[in-house]
Amino acid sequence: MTLSLKTPSRNALDARQGVRSRKTFHRRRTIINYLLLAPALLLSIVVVVVPGILTAVASFTDWDGLGFSANFVGTDNFTDIFNDPTFYTALGNNIKWVLLFLTIPVALGLLTASLLLRRKKTRTLYQVIYLMPYVLAPVVNAMVWLSIIYNPHGGVVGYLRDRGMSIEPPLANLDMSIYAVAGVDMWHYWGFLTVIYLGAMRQTPVEQVEAAMVEGANAFQIFRHVYLPNIRATLLLMGVMIVIFSFLAFDYVYLLTQGGPAHSSEVMGTYAYAFAFSSFQFGKAAAVGLIMSFFGLVASFVYTWLSRRDLSK
Amino acid sequence: MRIFKNSVLAAGAAAAALILSACGGPSGSASGKQQIEMWFWGAPPAHQKEMQNVLVNGFNSSQDKYELKVTFDNAVDKNVEVALAANRGPDVVYGSGPAFAAAYVAKGKLADMTPYADKYGWKDRILDPMYESGTVDGKLYSLPNSLNNIGVFYNKAVLDKLGVAVPTSTAELNGVMDKAQSQGLYASVTGNKGWKPVNQNYASLFLTHVAGGKTVYDALQGKTSWTDPKIAAAIDASKDFYGKGYLAGKDYFNLNFVESMQLLSQGKAPFMFGPSLAFQFATDSFNEKNGNAGDLGFIPFPNVNSSLASPNYTLGSTASLSINNASKNKDGAAMVIDYMMTEKFSVDMTKTWPGYWAVPLKKLDANPSDFTGLSKPYVQAMKDMISGVNEGHYGFFAGTFFPPATATAFDDIDSVWLGKTSTGDFLKKVDATFAEEKAKGLVPPVPEPK
Repeated sequence: MTLSLKTPSRNALDARQGVRSRKTFHRRRTIINYLLLAPALLLSIVVVVVPGILTAVASFTDWDGLGFSANFVGTDNFTDIFNDPTFYTALGNNIKWVLLFLTIPVALGLLTASLLLRRKKTRTLYQVIYLMPYVLAPVVNAMVWLSIIYNPHGGVVGYLRDRGMSIEPPLANLDMSIYAVAGVDMWHYWGFLTVIYLGAMRQTPVEQVEAAMVEGANAFQIFRHVYLPNIRATLLLMGVMIVIFSFLAFDYVYLLTQGGPAHSSEVMGTYAYAFAFSSFQFGKAAAVGLIMSFFGLVASFVYTWLSRRDLSK
Repeated sequence: MRIFKNSVLAAGAAAAALILSACGGPSGSASGKQQIEMWFWGAPPAHQKEMQNVLVNGFNSSQDKYELKVTFDNAVDKNVEVALAANRGPDVVYGSGPAFAAAYVAKGKLADMTPYADKYGWKDRILDPMYESGTVDGKLYSLPNSLNNIGVFYNKAVLDKLGVAVPTSTAELNGVMDKAQSQGLYASVTGNKGWKPVNQNYASLFLTHVAGGKTVYDALQGKTSWTDPKIAAAIDASKDFYGKGYLAGKDYFNLNFVESMQLLSQGKAPFMFGPSLAFQFATDSFNEKNGNAGDLGFIPFPNVNSSLASPNYTLGSTASLSINNASKNKDGAAMVIDYMMTEKFSVDMTKTWPGYWAVPLKKLDANPSDFTGLSKPYVQAMKDMISGVNEGHYGFFAGTFFPPATATAFDDIDSVWLGKTSTGDFLKKVDATFAEEKAKGLVPPVPEPK
């Protein structure tokens, strides 16, 4: 029996050391990555996760927002809300809001973006003009519409009335108020969509457009079969964002009607706000907030599912 | 039900209040005086200037221990609410009235002011019902800064043009409004644009003048249901009133008090129904410069129910003043409140800011003829009201005396007016909301009318 003591070759040693140093390098890099991520992660936990958990907890209590103690009331807040006809008015208005925003501003945005594609010299100016309502504070936009358009004395409504037209200011009309408010919000939003869609359309390969033109496609066919498939991801993303924002709608409703008259323009945002800051019923407000988040969550899941389906194709 | 201390909620509330309370600054000031802070609503610049002159400069020069700082804030109610939740906020707490204060007292957020009341003799000089309304279990927690009554503003020039006198009864009032409508004018102007709780003014008005203060008092004590036929009759009367176009016709939801005063001054209506605090919104429309300051008058709303004592007042306050339980300068805060509870302060403020500073004193010696412009009718209106309240002829303004959720429930009276809900269903909801709040001890002590 012979005993042979083999010493590892230099190459093998180098290889092992290489593996070790690579592992050390990876470990170090992972730690650095986590450290770099930490501030954003911490911020997210503090401003998103913690308030989210607090809201969920509060929704099962009668917390009045004043003290640090609350009574656990089970699902009473949800039962009260589901038995309140105003909740269904608000939910219905939020759904109307989604449908309006998924059609009118999207159609306007796509149409305008398509037209601006051909305006190579002036489209920057147009984009700035279209973006102006979007960059103005909602309170400014609301004041403009209240004073210049809807005002029964001095506004467009007043002007038409003075000329003998029997016109009722739409914000005061039970059937029209939600559309009158949504109209202002869409007016402020559609220019933003135009800019987004235009940006996405400009990423379309020129060759595809030129090929379609050579094939004799008209403007609508080019839009339908070339641009539209190319901006599908943007359309999808903005669609989901619209659904989420629509269930969070608050500012224009609060500024223009505060949900009135007779709750006809109530949305879940204003419904929750009244519980919190008028009635000291933060528990109920939190419950409404959870319901609002549920719809946003559904939209997010649909988006994620569609995105994954696209990737797997 | 299980009661638990929710430290998680506490952390959230504290975090939310941190930003606001950061505005509070240190309690000491550069002059070496201890700083007293008060947050006030975002009044117009001219009124802010007047408050700076009369209150801040006046108080600061009246003593050498404290320095008052007033911050004007459009979202003061909400910001005070968040700050108090975290045991922070201003030393002098400006609130919406006794009901607002009662909710905070239940959570230990306001200091007991009884020792200061004894020291400064507040009970002897403040109107009994107003003093009592700020107490909880016999201890004083808030004082109203000003009396308020919901009544009738009228334009004398328009009444002259219509050939009618200032109405003294409901029949006369309705007659004038019918005549105005027939001549293409509004019957009256008012509206809730931008502030839905304006609805509470009209709910309270009809409760006072149809159901009567005693019935509402009984409802607030839990002796009578809010579905009582007398209360239902009051809501029905308000619906009838709205239906006849007596509340700005179809423009109730498109007008606010400032615009209503403009229209009243332009002769578009003979009346504006609203709170006496709306005098402050009339100064731009009725003034010496326009030569129409003498045209604006104010009278109590006539009783719809003739069996009630007349004149009758819908008693309210524009705001309440309390001391933050977390304040390190409670003595200084009390000194500020005492400074404001004087006739001198009331008169000085009212000279240029009519409508907001009728300090609820038992005796107001001020002579209306010593005032100019709108301050003259305002002082007269408040003297009349003090006299009426001393006689016990009053009802209650929801925003001042009803617990918060019950007052908010009355915001929905427009659903009855517009036929979206019945009077019965509306009052059932009010009744259920009130029962919940009463069980939680949130009903403020209300003075009993005669």
